[in-house]
Parts: sequence; structure tokens; C-alpha cells
Amino acid sequence: MSGSERTRAALLGCVLAAAANAAVAPQAPQAPAAAATPAPATQLERTIALRQPSVVKVFGASGLQTIRPYCAGVVVSAQGHILTLDQILLQPERTRVVLHDGSVHQATLLPPEPQLGVRLLQIDAAKVEGGLQPLWPERERFDRTGQFVVALGNCFRLAEFEEANSATFGVVVGRANTALRHRLADVAYDGDLILTDAAINPGQEGGGLFSLDGRWLGLNMKSLAAKETNTLLSAAIPVADLLPYLERVVRGQQAPEPVAVAKEPAWLGVVLFDKAGRQSPPAYVERVVAGSPAAALGLRADDLIVRLDDFSIRTCREYRDVLARFAAGAKVQLVWKRGQQVQQAQVTLGKEPAK
Amino acid sequence: MNAHRSVRRVGERALRTVPAAAVALALCAAALTAQATPADEFVRLEPVVQQALAVAAPFTVTIETFGGTRQVERAEGPMDGEAPPKARPRPAPKPKPKPKPDDAPEKDKDGDKQPKKPLVTPATGFQQAQGRATGVVLTADGWILVARFALALEPTTILVTVPGVGTFPATRAGEDTSRGLALVKIEASGLPVPTFVDPGEVRVGQWALALGRTFAADLPTVHFGIVSAKGRQFGRALQIDAGTSPANYGGPVVDVQGRVLGIAVPLSPSGRNAGVEWYDSGVGFAATIADIAPLLARMQQGEALQRGWLGVQFDPKWLGPGAKVVTVDARGPAHAAGVQKGDVLLQVGGVPVRNAPHALACISGHLGGDALALAVRRADGTEAALGPIVLADAPWSEQQVKKDAETPASFSLPEPQQGR
Repeated sequence: MSGSERTRAALLGCVLAAAANAAVAPQAPQAPAAAATPAPATQLERTIALRQPSVVKVFGASGLQTIRPYCAGVVVSAQGHILTLDQILLQPERTRVVLHDGSVHQATLLPPEPQLGVRLLQIDAAKVEGGLQPLWPERERFDRTGQFVVALGNCFRLAEFEEANSATFGVVVGRANTALRHRLADVAYDGDLILTDAAINPGQEGGGLFSLDGRWLGLNMKSLAAKETNTLLSAAIPVADLLPYLERVVRGQQAPEPVAVAKEPAWLGVVLFDKAGRQSPPAYVERVVAGSPAAALGLRADDLIVRLDDFSIRTCREYRDVLARFAAGAKVQLVWKRGQQVQQAQVTLGKEPAK
Repeated sequence: MNAHRSVRRVGERALRTVPAAAVALALCAAALTAQATPADEFVRLEPVVQQALAVAAPFTVTIETFGGTRQVERAEGPMDGEAPPKARPRPAPKPKPKPKPDDAPEKDKDGDKQPKKPLVTPATGFQQAQGRATGVVLTADGWILVARFALALEPTTILVTVPGVGTFPATRAGEDTSRGLALVKIEASGLPVPTFVDPGEVRVGQWALALGRTFAADLPTVHFGIVSAKGRQFGRALQIDAGTSPANYGGPVVDVQGRVLGIAVPLSPSGRNAGVEWYDSGVGFAATIADIAPLLARMQQGEALQRGWLGVQFDPKWLGPGAKVVTVDARGPAHAAGVQKGDVLLQVGGVPVRNAPHALACISGHLGGDALALAVRRADGTEAALGPIVLADAPWSEQQVKKDAETPASFSLPEPQQGR
């Protein structure tokens, strides 16, 4: 991604940091030992310094040229649990974790979470000098669009041993619930991602995304492309979404059994004017099934279905994909266009009657 | 203030979870709080950014398009400007396999009759504007500015959603291909209208926020950066380093007060892939609006504005003053007005021409249809005033190509009758 190099943000950070340092220097003379690394003076500098010890470097087996054997991780327990993104080269016996002090630790692999694409590792906490500095997600989401963030991680494997992770600066661009892919493969993650314009380069995945005041907001994702726009995204999984997995694996808390409800496919009762072809046409209604939710709503032939809740429906294919997100009985806001009128109404999706 | 409180909260959270580490954290937090400095740019700037976002959110609208399959073309062609180098750089020819003697007649048959490369070739493997797009309210009575990019597929239906107001079908009006802008109209009134900042007041280095509606419905997405340069694309656009991509083309680029500096458009000069290839690269463009009110009025009338074209090429070795003409395109208005090879262009529209790039800038800042008076010095030393010459639409522009080429069929249904 060409946009990865955010020299501007880095420069800006330096300039502002320098200015702030200069302002502080006269009243707070530095100890001689600290001269090499001045104490952090701004909130951004403090947050980076505060969170560095919780972000570790993870190295897997080497092998495939196309897969990077390195990423970052976040310490989530004093017992040595490290949260990182799952990838093929994290193998038993061959996965090492490097802490901020440069110490190298053999990691054991704990079960992954395939839906989120994350995995926990564990190192022997007894061998860590000075203890670990774990972070734990909060249940709520605190990311707000437009807030400043800093991403920590080992971008391009620039940091080895005690060298610090790279910090990149940006804002929360927004939240996105969009179809994703990584290279050519679809990504299973289905939730609101945190988008950021802080550069999240290869190697920064698995690292943390922090707010200006040091709050842990997200786990950095590998570079994803939004399928709608064909553009690469810098994104992070909101940490609140990781909590159930962490509670289960780190704390042994049994997640409340999901109530096993057989999800019945939702049915609106329209037949679309869907012609075969390379490109799926817009979702024009060809016919409305009598007695269906669509008929109760007053939908007619030639209406154009444009949105279901917040999902745009540009094609018949998208209509089917979006409808599949809902179960029979779900209440959704349906938007359609009739002539030059846009109409909308709430509709309770039904269940297709047996033929 | 805010930061102080939050640092403390971080400590508390750790206390609940992992006591051992909490001690360290709490100590750390306490130490940090004690160091808090009053002047902390980012802490003060963060709420400002969010305030600007709140100001700009109401007039940042969502564009949804339906149908349409026209492929996005890339156009290459002759330009006003320096004469192209004699030998165009070409990829090194592949060594041909030696033909066997009995193949010889076939080779003769093909000979040099290579099919001429067509002027316009479809950009392969590039899909665009499939998602939602972004627009900006121009007037309270329903004129909406969008990026041409969003309409490139020639959609059969365009819907505009004004946050908190509603969703409206839109009709397409005119456009400006030189700025990458288009206008659509919705039947609405009392829409929230932004303040447009005159580009003369914009300072290089000031904050610039690029907003988009592609992903988020409640709040626009925001990319943060600065104004990198002014007067780009022959005075049509600001250059910004905030991320611009199909996720926010058509969206407003605002200052920290939420006033609109311009509209984010794909305008990379190579013009391939609709100018999108520089997305999120730190090089973005915002077409300025406050300075083009008369053009907007023409676009409202349905006019398609395009970059002006004189149809001359200049000698790159001629360093000025003036610009020496080496080629006059027979299709161009310069030819019709009597500009000849060997003439030195002295004035364009009353502006003394310094050199060839300056002449190019003087011409390209105008649109097709604009009239320009020229002054030239002939090869024999006499000076002549020509014109005013009415500039033609640039023949390489996408719009012109579209007019010439047969438009591929796109899927559409006849609009259903009202009240059916």
C-alpha cells in the first residue's frame, strides 16, 4: 500500500514533540542518565512509553516467502498470555516472543479463534524478569471517529530484541462493517472494524491501537481490502469483541451457552427480476407473492429495493446476501424506490411457506 | 483535564484485573499525571477535530448508485504542450524466434501491418464506484456536488441520503471533467448548506480533514492531514495529504471549523484508472468550489465542462520569452485561427508568455468554449494578433471519447409510470 508511509504524521509528531520538549526543558532539567532518552513530555509520548512494554514482538517459523514469519502481540495476563493474530507460521516449538526488555521466550500455542482470526500464545511468566504489564479489554467500545490514535507494532520487522516497536500516529477514520478480503481470500470477520489512518504496516498486525490517553482500543489487523471499494484499509479489531475469547481461554470462564435457536431463513416474498449474466442487475421486483410480508407492505412489481436496514442493496446478489444475515421474525427497515418516490417501512421478515 | 482522568482510569482497570501489574501501572500513571504539561497540542486538537466533524456531518451526504455497466476508460492523447520526444520509449522488443524457411510466406503476409493501437483502451481489471459514495450539499434547494467518479458507471438510479432528512432520487445534471466534479439534483428544500472557503484564503500547512460516507452511516469517516499545496491541476484543486480514496471521493475536505475547502476527487495527472491510482498515498486533491460559482451555474444547466484545447505543441528547446510552436493539430482551433508552425506565442489572453510550460498553464487553466486572444510573432519577425479563439474541448478527455464511441449497452428498465 502506497499510503503506508506516513512520513507526515511522523514528522509532525517529531516537530510537536520537539517543541514541547523545548518548552519543558528549562523547568525540568533532565538527569544525566536520561539525557539519551528524554522523559516523555506530551500525552502522545507518555502513551507510547506507557504501552510499549505491553506490546511484544512475535516470531514464527520461517519458510514460505509470501508469508511473513513475524508480527506483534499484546500481553493480556500476568501468567504470560499473549494475544496476536493467527497465522500459518506460528507453529509449536518454533514460535518465539520477544519482550520489550529484549528477553526471548518460547511460546506455546493455545487454541485460535477462527472467526476473529486471532490466537493466544503463552510464555512462562516465571522466566520474565520484573513481571509483565498486561492489558485487558473493556466490555464497552470507546473508539470515537476523529479521535487521535497511536498504533504500536513491529512494522517490517524493524525492531529486534530490546529495540522498541514502531509507533504510528493517526485518527480513527470511522467504523466499518463491510465485506473484506485479504489478498484474494475472503475474510470471515463480520463486525464493526475500527478504521484508522495511522499506518498499519506488515508486522504491525497483532499489535495494539491506543487512544491518546492510553486506552487500548483495538488489535491491529493485517492489511485488508474492502471488497466494495477495492481499496486497502488500515484497520483494527475492537478489543471489546475479543473479550469473550479471552475470558474463555485466559480465565477459563465458560461463556454462557448460546441458546441454540435453529435460525430459519428470512423470507420477504418478492421475486426479483434477476437475469443471468456476469453482472447482477439492480433488485427490481418482478412479482410479489400473495400473503407474504412484502405483499402486506404493499410492494409491487417494478419497485426497486435499495436498502435493508443499513445495508445498501445494489444488485440482486446483494439482496440475497443481505437477507441471509437475518432470520425469520427479524424486524428490518426496508427502503424501496417506486417511480421517483423513495419509500420505507418496517417489516417483519417471515418464513417461506412449505411448497 | 480529560487526559488526567483517563490515565487514572487505566490504572483502576488494571487494579481490578491483575493486582501485580496494577501497582506498577498505578505508579506509572501517577508519575505521568504529575508531569502533565499544559501545552499539549494533540490533547487540545482532538476535540477540535471532532467538533469540525460534527459541523460537517449534516451536509456530507451518502450517494448510492444502481445499475449501469459502462467500463471506465482511460484516455491518452495529444495535449497542448511540449512536443513529444521523437522516439517514444517502448518496451524492448522480444527477440523473435527465427522463422523456419517454410514459414517465410506467412511472415510476409503479416508484414508490418500491425493493427494501430486504439486511442482509448479500457482499463483492465479495475472496478470502481461499486460501493456507496459521498456528496456535499451545494444549495438548500437540493443541488448536490459529487465526484464524477461515483457516476462513472452511468447508473440508472442515483439516490442521495441527507442525514436526518431523508433519501431522495437524484437526477444528473452537468459536470466538469477537468475538476472531476458532477452535479445532481434532488427535490428537497431547507438542506444544511456548508460554508465554502475561497481558495485565496487557504494556507499551505493548515489542517485539512477529508470526510466520507462510504463505510459509516451515522458519522462520516474522517482522514486527517494538511493542505500540501495550492493551485494544482492548473489552478483547479488543492493538494492535501489526508487520505483520499474511493471511500471518500466526493466528500468535503474541511478545515477545523468545518468549512469546506474543496471536494475530494481523483485527479492524479496520469489520468489512468480515472485518476484513482494515487489513493491514500499522501497525495490527494480537493477541487475548489468557492471560486467557480459561474461554472456551477453552467453545470446546473446541464453543461459538461471540459479542459480547453488549443491544438498546438511547443518546442521544448525554446526557452522563451514566448513559446515556439512546432506542431499545429489540423483538428484544433489554433489551426483554424491561423497559428502556424514556427510562430512564437507571445501572449495568451493578454498575459505575456514566459516560456512553454507557462503557455501550457495559461491555456489549460481555461475550459473548452472559453475565448482567448493570442499574440504571435511570425517566422518573418512580424507580430500578429489572433482571435479571440474559442478553445475546443480536449479531444482526449473522457467525455469527448464517450461522445464519439458507441456507448455499450447498460442494464436498465424503463421507469415505471407514476401511480402504477
